[in-house]
Amino acid sequence: MEHKLNQKDLWKMFWRLNTMRITLNYETLQGVGFMRAIAPALSKIYTDKKDLSEAMKRHLVFYNSHVNGDAAILGLTAAMEESTSADEKEGINALKTGLMGPLAGLGDSLVKFTWVPIVGSIGASLAFSGSIAGPILMFVLYNIVNILGRYYAVVYGYKAGIDFLNKNKKTNVIQRISTMANVVGLMVVGSLIATVIKVKTPVKIAVHSNLSGKIGGNSIALQSMFDKIMPSVLSLLVTIVVYLILKKTNGKHAAMLIIIMMALTVLLKYFGIV
Amino acid sequence: MKILIITILSFVLGIDDVSTKLFRRPLLIAPLVGLVLGNLPAGLVIGATLEIMWMGIGNVGAYMAPDLITGTIISTSLAIMSGGSRPLPTLVATAVTLAVPTSILAQQLLVLIETANCSLNGWAKRMADNADVKSTVWLIYPPAILTGLARALPTFLALEFGAGAIQNVINSLPKFVINGLSTSGSIIPSVGIALLMMSMIKKFELWMFLILGFVLAAYLKLEVLPITLIAIVFAFLYEVATRKVSATTVQSATTVIETPDGEEDDEEGDYDL
Repeated sequence: MEHKLNQKDLWKMFWRLNTMRITLNYETLQGVGFMRAIAPALSKIYTDKKDLSEAMKRHLVFYNSHVNGDAAILGLTAAMEESTSADEKEGINALKTGLMGPLAGLGDSLVKFTWVPIVGSIGASLAFSGSIAGPILMFVLYNIVNILGRYYAVVYGYKAGIDFLNKNKKTNVIQRISTMANVVGLMVVGSLIATVIKVKTPVKIAVHSNLSGKIGGNSIALQSMFDKIMPSVLSLLVTIVVYLILKKTNGKHAAMLIIIMMALTVLLKYFGIV
Repeated sequence: MKILIITILSFVLGIDDVSTKLFRRPLLIAPLVGLVLGNLPAGLVIGATLEIMWMGIGNVGAYMAPDLITGTIISTSLAIMSGGSRPLPTLVATAVTLAVPTSILAQQLLVLIETANCSLNGWAKRMADNADVKSTVWLIYPPAILTGLARALPTFLALEFGAGAIQNVINSLPKFVINGLSTSGSIIPSVGIALLMMSMIKKFELWMFLILGFVLAAYLKLEVLPITLIAIVFAFLYEVATRKVSATTVQSATTVIETPDGEEDDEEGDYDL
């Protein structure tokens, strides 16, 4: 099949994809942005003015996904607009709506909740030791996925088009990748609990010694006891408590929780507990 | 002059956040601010702290997260500007304390903009009616300028009038408050991490991997990179294992389909997928 869109058109779509989220609004979310991004491709596909107007209106509907998902859907939608007949156009929005959820989930789990935390923690650990290489490394690693991921998703979405989707239904690629990203992300998160969160207590417990009969002669540092049980055990406990609180409130009051924790830390510091 | 540069920086970074997304993370923004203000080391450490503190925060669905861009820029620059020659932990404590309220206040502005952006729908509809592809290029400019201003104006106001006030407050605070706040800087990242966990632990068995990562770091003292590589191996094995399990549950579900409650079993089998 001959493609109506050339490399330049795909580049134009990629460029407009980058500004898609600017028009985010509470009525159609990224609807306006999507129409704007696909409009140049539509004008290439539809020579008739009435068809073009219909097509533009078709994409002015509620739409929202992750940016890399947007890219793939944009390419795929262009491929569908080009290859479908007039009575198949209904299916285009159905496909868009059907894909925006799963691809948003995949994009979030791969980029937002796996890649960004990984490069962020590598960068942060370098930055903590005062090295400018931290942010630079993060910038490069993050944007390789950010920009190349977006560009190739547009191109691949358009070129591989519907073939990929049909194949994907059988092999469940999206589901598999997102499961793996989930596991990698969780292990990194687990390691961050031990390395980033530092809860230590200077409290010492006075031990009554039978030999000398004196109280307070010997003392055991609470922290070294905790360290013997498990290194970073307090960090793990704090994180689990915070997690349970957030889970109970559906994560809505994260900022409030931070303020409360700050107040609590100051209070505990006053009594010399942390 | 420095205030002006940072105001312009926040305008540009504000638009970058909703378009090219090159910088949008605290660790990438705070060092830039530190560089402009001539205190790069502080920018690095503040950026690293905020990065991990806000790790799990992100716009999911239509939910608007606290505005990291404005929050990072204002808190980093105020901490450095009002800090003078104070030690690094104090600067970090000041920044962390300021980051939360500023990002929540700035978030409200973004919500306002998203509401104002609804008017774009009518405009775009008229373009579609006329099949006017050329004009669609203009659709992004009003909201882009609005978004930039929503970041630049608060930044300018906070930097112009805030630094002196904050300096006075820090001077008058007792020692334990400052120390407490700087300790909280290394405890509060647990919120960011817990938020990440919330969106990642979809099944109870996934706790295993969290514990595995914790053990590798706490006992074996491994760095992030080797842990990531080990994680990829486990991720692959887990995916293969669960794929086989789900295949067998579908099979067993189809075998019991003749029994009266076969329907229910089948649904359960699907849910496990």
